[in-house]
Amino acid sequence: MDILIISFSNSDYDRAAQGVAGAGRNLATVLGGRLRAVVIGPGNAAMNSRLAAVADEVIVADQAELAEYQPEIFLQALTSICRDAAPAAVLFGNDTYSQELAPRLAHRLSGSAAGDGIELAVDNGAIRVRRSVYGGKAVATIELKRSPAVLWLRARAFEPAPEKDSATAAITRPAVDLSMRAPTQIIERKSEGAGEARLEDARVIISGGRGLGGPEPFADLQDVAGLIGAQLAASRAACDSGWCPPSWQVGQTGKKVAPGLYIAVAIRGASQHMAGISDARVIAAINIDADAPIFKHCRFGIVEDYKNVIPLLKEKLAALQR
Amino acid sequence: MIDQQIATRQVLWNITHDWVMYVLFAVSLAIAGYGIYLRLSIWRRGVAVDRFDRPAERIKLLLRHALLQGRTVRERYAAIFHSFIFTGFIILFIATTVVMLDHRFGIPIMRGAFYLYFQSFVVDVFGAMVLVGVGIATVRRAVIRPKKLVYTDEALRILALIFLMALTGFLIEGWRIAATNDPWGAWSPFGYLVARLSESLMSVETMTTAHLWTWWLHSALVFGFIAWAPYTKLIHILTGPLNIYTARLDPSGVILKTLDFENQDAPLGVKTLANFTWKDLADFDACTECGRCTQVCPANTVGKSLSPRDIILDLRDLIRAGGSDPMLAFEQPVVNAVPATAAEALWECTTCGACMEACPVFIEQMPKILDLRRFQVMEESDFPETMQEAITSLESRGHPFRGTQSTRVDWAEGLNVSIMADARDADVLFWVGCGGALIERNQKVVRATARLLEKAGVRFAILGREEKCTGDPARRIGNEFLYDMMVRENVDLLNGYGVKQIVTSCPHCFNTFLNEYPQFGGRFEVWHHSEFLSKLIEDGRLALSEKLDASVTFHDPCYLGRHNGRFDAPRQIVRIASRSSVEMAQTRENGFCCGGGGGMSFVDEPKDKRVNQERARQALETGADVVAVGCPFCMTMLEDGINARKGDRDVRVMDVAEILWQTMEVESKK
Amino acid sequence: MNIIVCLKQILDPEVPARDFRIDAEKKEAVRGTANLVTNIFCENALETALQLREKTGGRITALVFAPESGEDALRKALAMKADEAVLVINDGHPHPDPLAVAHVLAAAISKIGVFDLVMVGRESGDWGVGQTGGLLAEELGVPCISFVDNLENGTDGLIVTRQTDNGWEKARSTTPLVVTITNNEYNVPRIPKTRDIMMSARQPITRLTLDEIGVDAASIRAGGNYYEIVDISIPVKEVTCEFVTGDSLDERVDQFAKRIIEVTQAL
Ligand SMILES: Cc1cc2nc3c(=O)[nH]c(=O)nc-3n(C[C@H](O)[C@H](O)[C@H](O)COP(=O)(O)OP(=O)(O)OC[C@H]3O[C@@H](n4cnc5c(N)ncnc54)[C@H](O)[C@@H]3O)c2cc1C
Ligand code: SF4
Ligand code: SF4
Repeated sequence: MDILIISFSNSDYDRAAQGVAGAGRNLATVLGGRLRAVVIGPGNAAMNSRLAAVADEVIVADQAELAEYQPEIFLQALTSICRDAAPAAVLFGNDTYSQELAPRLAHRLSGSAAGDGIELAVDNGAIRVRRSVYGGKAVATIELKRSPAVLWLRARAFEPAPEKDSATAAITRPAVDLSMRAPTQIIERKSEGAGEARLEDARVIISGGRGLGGPEPFADLQDVAGLIGAQLAASRAACDSGWCPPSWQVGQTGKKVAPGLYIAVAIRGASQHMAGISDARVIAAINIDADAPIFKHCRFGIVEDYKNVIPLLKEKLAALQR
Repeated sequence: MIDQQIATRQVLWNITHDWVMYVLFAVSLAIAGYGIYLRLSIWRRGVAVDRFDRPAERIKLLLRHALLQGRTVRERYAAIFHSFIFTGFIILFIATTVVMLDHRFGIPIMRGAFYLYFQSFVVDVFGAMVLVGVGIATVRRAVIRPKKLVYTDEALRILALIFLMALTGFLIEGWRIAATNDPWGAWSPFGYLVARLSESLMSVETMTTAHLWTWWLHSALVFGFIAWAPYTKLIHILTGPLNIYTARLDPSGVILKTLDFENQDAPLGVKTLANFTWKDLADFDACTECGRCTQVCPANTVGKSLSPRDIILDLRDLIRAGGSDPMLAFEQPVVNAVPATAAEALWECTTCGACMEACPVFIEQMPKILDLRRFQVMEESDFPETMQEAITSLESRGHPFRGTQSTRVDWAEGLNVSIMADARDADVLFWVGCGGALIERNQKVVRATARLLEKAGVRFAILGREEKCTGDPARRIGNEFLYDMMVRENVDLLNGYGVKQIVTSCPHCFNTFLNEYPQFGGRFEVWHHSEFLSKLIEDGRLALSEKLDASVTFHDPCYLGRHNGRFDAPRQIVRIASRSSVEMAQTRENGFCCGGGGGMSFVDEPKDKRVNQERARQALETGADVVAVGCPFCMTMLEDGINARKGDRDVRVMDVAEILWQTMEVESKK
Repeated sequence: MNIIVCLKQILDPEVPARDFRIDAEKKEAVRGTANLVTNIFCENALETALQLREKTGGRITALVFAPESGEDALRKALAMKADEAVLVINDGHPHPDPLAVAHVLAAAISKIGVFDLVMVGRESGDWGVGQTGGLLAEELGVPCISFVDNLENGTDGLIVTRQTDNGWEKARSTTPLVVTITNNEYNVPRIPKTRDIMMSARQPITRLTLDEIGVDAASIRAGGNYYEIVDISIPVKEVTCEFVTGDSLDERVDQFAKRIIEVTQAL
C-alpha cells in the first residue's frame, strides 16, 4: 500500500519536509508500497523536482484556488487527492497547517490520526506511532485502528529521505473540483521575523545571568542566538542590573517559558529562576562553578568561564550549521 | 513668718460677672460633648466586636501605656516634650478641680501646705514645663520637620493655642501676685517672676486692668480649647486611653478575624467603612498623628507608597469631611477612596506588624490593610498576577510555588526519615513546610534540622506527600476562603494522626498552628525549630564542643519575633554555636522585615524599592560573616539581597539549624 | 451569540517529574496525591469566550465529558461566569480516544441545541492529542479554525485571529464554527471571585448519560475504535548533567556545540 506525504509548497523542501519524506520512505519500504509526495499550494517547481528525486510520484496541487492557504479549500483538495490515492498512511510535518488539517482529513477518509510522532513502526500490519505525552514525562505508543493512518510528525526528528538511484519521479496534476464557497476565509497574514516571537513561544532560548558582569556580553549571546534561531532571556539579577530589558526576565515573577532547549549562561539556577523554565524540554548551562544548582537540572553543561566559551561556540555553531 | 496653715489665695480676685464664665464653660462643654457624640455615633456604625472582656488585663495595659506612656517613651526626643505637655495637663486639670472644690463647693482643701507645695509650686513648675514642651514640639515641627510628622498644620495651631493658654495663665498669676501683694507669691516661682518683672514696668492699676482682660482672654482660650479639642487630633486625650483599654490582648499573630461564609449579605472583607468594626472606626479617632508607624514600615522605608499612618488619617479625614452626615463616606468603597488606600499600596504590606508594635495608642493598622485585601481578592479578584499564581497553585496543588521541580520529600533523600502514615507512634511531627521542602536552598535547612533531631534521638516523622500548605499565604494575600478550607483539611489530617507536638522550621507555619489553628479545633504543642533545638541542647541531648568560626548576626523573622515574642532561642543557638555574634541596629520587637511576608515573596518589587536589599544593607553594616535566619522566606529574601549587595565580601546566609549542624559536622570529622 | 466551551479535566500537569508514575495496567498516569485540574488551553478557551461575550452578549455553556469528578471543572467554569454547565458522564473507559470524545461532544451539543460557536483548547496537558477540535468540527459538519487567540464580531461574520508558525492570520468566518484556542497574553484565565465560587456551588449542572445523548454507548465505554494506546512508559531520564569532556577547551566547546545542534534539530 502506498504512503502519501503532504508538503506545503510555500515552505520549500525544508528540513521538516525532508524528515517527512524520510519517514515516508521507511514506511513505504516496510509496507511494500510507493512513496507519493503531494505538494500543495502555489507552484514551486524547485520543490517539485527535489521531491521527484526522492519520491516515486509527485502529485502537484497548484490550482489557482490553492494560491493561498485556506483551510476548507485545502482540506477539500487533500481529501479528494487522498481518496483517489487510497494510501495506507498520509504523513504531515508538524507545522500549523498540518496540525489543523490532519485530524479532519482522517475523519473525512474514515481513517485515524495521531500527531507529534517521533517514531513510526508497523506491527502486524498496523501502524504505530511513538510520541511523548504528559508534557514529556512519558512516552506512549499508539496503534491506529482505522486506515488510512493520518500522521503528523516531529519532522526534524526523522532522517531525511535518500535520493533515489533511478530516474526522477513523474509529476502529475490531478484536476480537483474546488468550486466550493468556503465558509471561512483567511483575509490577512503577517509573518514576524525570527526572534520576534514571544518568549513564551520560543523554541530555543539563550539566557544570561549576573555572571555575565555587564550588558556587552548580551550582544555576543545575540550572535549565538542568531545562529540557532534562539531568543534571548535573562535572570532577574541581570534584568535588575539594567543589562537587558525587564521583559526578558524568566522565572517565578517573570515569564514562564517552554522551549525545546534552554541555554543558561552564567545563571546560578535559583528556585525562583527555575520556576520559569520547568516546562523546558532540555536545559543546558555554561557556568564557571561546577556546584551551581543549575547543573542539577541540566541535560548537558560546560564548566568554564563564559568568556572563553562564547567566541568558540560561535565559530563551532557556524561551522556545524553549514 | 506668717503661719503657713492659713496660706491660700483669693479665688476670682478682680473678677466680676463670673457667671459669664460658667455660661461659657457650659457652652464649651456642650460643643465638646457634641463633638464626642459625633465620634461615638460614627463608631456605632461599625460591626460589633467584644473588646471589653478580661478587664483586669485591660486595666493593667491602660496603666502601663496610657498613664506611664509605655510606648511613647520609646522615642526619647518625642517622649520628653510629650510628657511635659501630658503631665502638665494632668496637673493643671487637678489644680482646676481643686479650685472648684474649694470655691464652688466650699470644701476647704486649697489651704496651707497643700496650697503652697502643690497648688502653687508644683502647678507653677508644671505650667512652665508645658511651655517648654510646646517649645520643643514647635521647633521639631516647624524647624526640623521630620517627614513622618507632618500630616497637617493642625498640630501647629494646637501648639500655638496651648502656648497662649499657658502664657496668659502666667501673666494673670503674676499680675495678681503683684497687685494683691500676695505673701505666698514666691511659692509660684514663675508667676512670681512675672510679678517682679511687671512691678518695674507697670503701675498697680495697669496691672489690675491688664489682669482683668487677660483673665477673660485666658478663659476664652481655655473654653475654646475644650470646645475645639474633640474636633482635632487632641481627641486622642480621650480616645487614646479608650483605645488602649480596648486593644487586642493576644499576640499580634492572632489578630485576623475569621469570616462567616454562610452570611450572604456582608461583603467578604471590607468594602465600605461600615464593614469595619467599631474598634477600627475608633482607631481612626485615636491617632495622634505621631507617624511612628510609617517611620518603621519597611515598605515605606524603601520608598514605596504604603503609609499606615496615612491610611488611618486619610480615612479619618474622609469621615470628618462628611461633617455631621458621614453617610457620604460610608457609602463608597474604601479602596482607592483616599490616596493612602490606593490599591497598589495594599499590595506592598508585608504584614510585618511593625506599625502596630510602634503605635503608642495601639491602633491596628495591618488588619485593616488585610480587610481591604480580602475585599480585593474575594469580591473583586483584582490583585497582582504573581500572587494570583500563588493562589492558583495553592488551590490545585497545595503549595504556592508554581513551577517548582521538587517534591515534598526530595530533601530527605538518603536520610532515614519516617513518614507519619507508617510511624503513627512518633512523638513529634516535623512539619517541613512548603518553603522548606520546595525551595532548593531551604532543603539544606530542613535536612540539617532532621539530622539534628535524629542525632538527639527524637522520635519524629513527617507527613511527606500528605503535607500541604498551612494556608498562611492564602490568608495574608487575602483569600480567607481558601485559607479556611485548607485549615479545615489540615486540622482533620493532623487530628486523624493524633498529632500532639509539631516542630517546624517555618515561622509562618509556626504562627498559624500556634495562634490560628485553635480557632478551627486544631490544638497542638507547637515549636519553632530554633526553640526545640535549643531545648535539646539545654537538656543535654545535643552536645556541641565546636563553634562556627564566624561572626554571626541574627535576623528576627517577624512571625517568630514581633508577632509571637520569641527572640531568645535562635540567639541562644547563635551564641553557643558561633565565634561571636552581633546585633543589627533594628532587632527584636523593632526588627526590620526581610520583605517576604504577606505574600510579598510572590511579587517582584521594583528594583530600586526592595525591602530585602534594605535589610541586607543593615545586615552587612554589622560586618558579620554570616547572616543567620530562622525562616525559609527570610532565607530567599536575604540571600537575594546579600548577593546583590555584598560586592567582594564573603557573606553567607545560614539558618540557625545549619549553623548548629555544621558545628556537629566539624566535630564528627575530628 | 450562543457559545459552547468544551473543557477537559486532566491530571495536574505540574506533578513533579520525580513524583510521576505510570499505571501499566490502565496505561495512564497514576493520580497519587495530585489533583485534577481544568486543562489550561480549555481555560484559555473559556476566558476567550467570556471576553467575546462581553463584546457581543450571548450565552456560554460549559460542556464536560468526564466522570463525576468533572463537576469540579464545571463549578469553576460557573464561577468564572459561564451561564450553563453540562456534564456528560463518562462511566466507561478512563481515556477514550479522540474520535469517541468528539462523537460524544457532538451528540451532546446537538442535544443542547442551537450554537454559533464551539470553542475547545488546542490540546490537552495530559495526552496532548490536539484533535478534538478538528474531529468535532467534522462530526458537526461545520468549519474549523485552529490556534485561535482572539475573536471579534465583524460586519459579515466573525473575525478570527490565529497564530501560525511565524506570525498570525486573520480569518473571516460564518457561524456555526469550531475554533481551537491557544494562549496569548490576553486570554490568561481569570481568577474567579470567591463570591462567585460560593455561588457556583448552588448553581444547577445538567447531567447527561451516554445513553441519553444517543450515541453508541457500548463502543464509547470501550474507549472507541480510532486508536489505542499500546504502551506507555517513563523514558529513562538523564538525571545527571553530562559535562562535556575533552582534552582542550576547543574540544569541549565543540562537544557542547554538537549537542546544541542535536537538540535543536529534533525540535
Ligand atoms: C520574591 C523573589 C522573586 C524572584 N523572582 C525571580 C524571577 O522571576 N526570575 C529570576 O531569575 N530570579 C528571581 N529572583 C531572584 C533569584 O532568587 C536569584 O537571586 C536570581 O535568579 C539570581 O540570578 P543569577 O543566577 O543571574 O545571579 P547569581 O545568583 O549572582 O549567579 C551568578 C552565576 O553566574 C556564575 N558566573 C559568574 N561568573 C561567571 C563567568 N565568568 N562565567 C560563567 N559563569 C559565571 C556564578 O557561578 C553563578 O552561578 C527572585 C527573588 C525573589 C526574592
Ligand atoms: S504591617 Fe509592616 S509592611 Fe504592613 S503597613 Fe505595617 S509596618 Fe508596613
Ligand atoms: S496610627 Fe499610631 S503610630 Fe501611626 S501615626 Fe497614628 S498614633 Fe502614630
